[in-house]
Amino acid sequence: MTCTLGEVKNRADFIVYWGGNPAECHPRHFTKYTLMQKSKFLPRGRKDRTMILVDIRETKSGGAADIFLQIRPGKDFEVLTILRAILKGQHVNSSIVAETGLTLEQMTDFIDRAKKARFGCMFFGMGLSMTRGKHMNSAALLTLAAELNAFTKFVAMPMRGHGNVTGADVIMRWQTGFPFGITFNRGYPRYNPGEFSTVDVLVRGDTDAALILGADPGATMPQPAIDHLARIPTIVLDPKVTHTSRLARVHITTSVAGISAPGTAYRMDEIPLPLKPALKSPYPTDEEVVRRINEAVARKPHWMPADGPMTIMQH
Amino acid sequence: MSLNVIHNATCTFCGCVCDDIELHSDETRIHEAKKACVLGKAWFLNHTADHDYPDALIDGREATVDEAIEAAATFLHDAHMPLIYGLSNTTCEAQREAVSLADRLGGLLDSHTSL
Repeated sequence: MTCTLGEVKNRADFIVYWGGNPAECHPRHFTKYTLMQKSKFLPRGRKDRTMILVDIRETKSGGAADIFLQIRPGKDFEVLTILRAILKGQHVNSSIVAETGLTLEQMTDFIDRAKKARFGCMFFGMGLSMTRGKHMNSAALLTLAAELNAFTKFVAMPMRGHGNVTGADVIMRWQTGFPFGITFNRGYPRYNPGEFSTVDVLVRGDTDAALILGADPGATMPQPAIDHLARIPTIVLDPKVTHTSRLARVHITTSVAGISAPGTAYRMDEIPLPLKPALKSPYPTDEEVVRRINEAVARKPHWMPADGPMTIMQH
Repeated sequence: MSLNVIHNATCTFCGCVCDDIELHSDETRIHEAKKACVLGKAWFLNHTADHDYPDALIDGREATVDEAIEAAATFLHDAHMPLIYGLSNTTCEAQREAVSLADRLGGLLDSHTSL
């Protein structure tokens, strides 16, 4: 269950940020949506809202929080599971509570406030979804949000990082039915993170050519993955010559989305917004270059030998 | 040199995708990004319309876009298991083309979300 940031702005009186630092990573999140805005339902703005920050260390976002809950690294899943137990009125063993870095009183207070809220929203960042437990942590948080709906309106939303990463999820879901980690190697889309997700594919050495656009894995991925990108023919589309370009066989310079390339980008709450480029680029757009590569591939024999193309889309 | 003002421009630096930015630009660069945060200002003011990089590189040597597109198509077509990855700092229109290319290649398709 999720909602738009407009609903958060107008209705949410209980906000949780879990494993994220919006003050430094999404600087206008507080002022535009979650804390400072006044609305029909929250006429006193900040005074009508409660914000709880959950993280393993105090960040700049702590200054904006009403309550800061500092948990031990890697204990997110345990904390979320205890919160769910408290919500259900179950007994929680004190030795398990002691491992989390929080007290039972702090967690009971969290649940009391969440149940009393009129509209609660939990935002979760990579501190939750990229640490020990990974997608199980996200699943636990989403389950807690779902279970709180027995008492009040409660939603959850991931704090997405890079500009249009939300758009990538939306477009892939629209076109293939899956958000990421997809293969077309049987002629139809299949989804299996861990098998078809890029770091795993590269570390195992399963791919023998790569087209990289809108990303710089050469600067961010684990070294064995980067080593494989250097072994195979890698093609990079980027406005700059990046780390990945330097190990690539082909680099094509493209214009910058939103600055010199027009198009659409999705906000983290899956609202599509038109881009209004201010500059004219001497370079082509990603869209044009990928379309032309696609056309050049289409002129070659199709990879599936027997009956030719078996694709899901009209090209 | 004329000053161009764009109201309600969209910033794609972070996932907030703020769409209330006022941009002041001339032909080559953006001089002001009103309402943008510190990250957004750096994003808008650090890009220019200058030709700072070669159009394309093949094995480190300068090439035309046409040559690079043909080389890219050949590498991807020759591969048994090509991968298309990234798709974050680009438009939905380019993402759609990338899905279509992965479909045609019978390849892998993935984004930052899987990291």
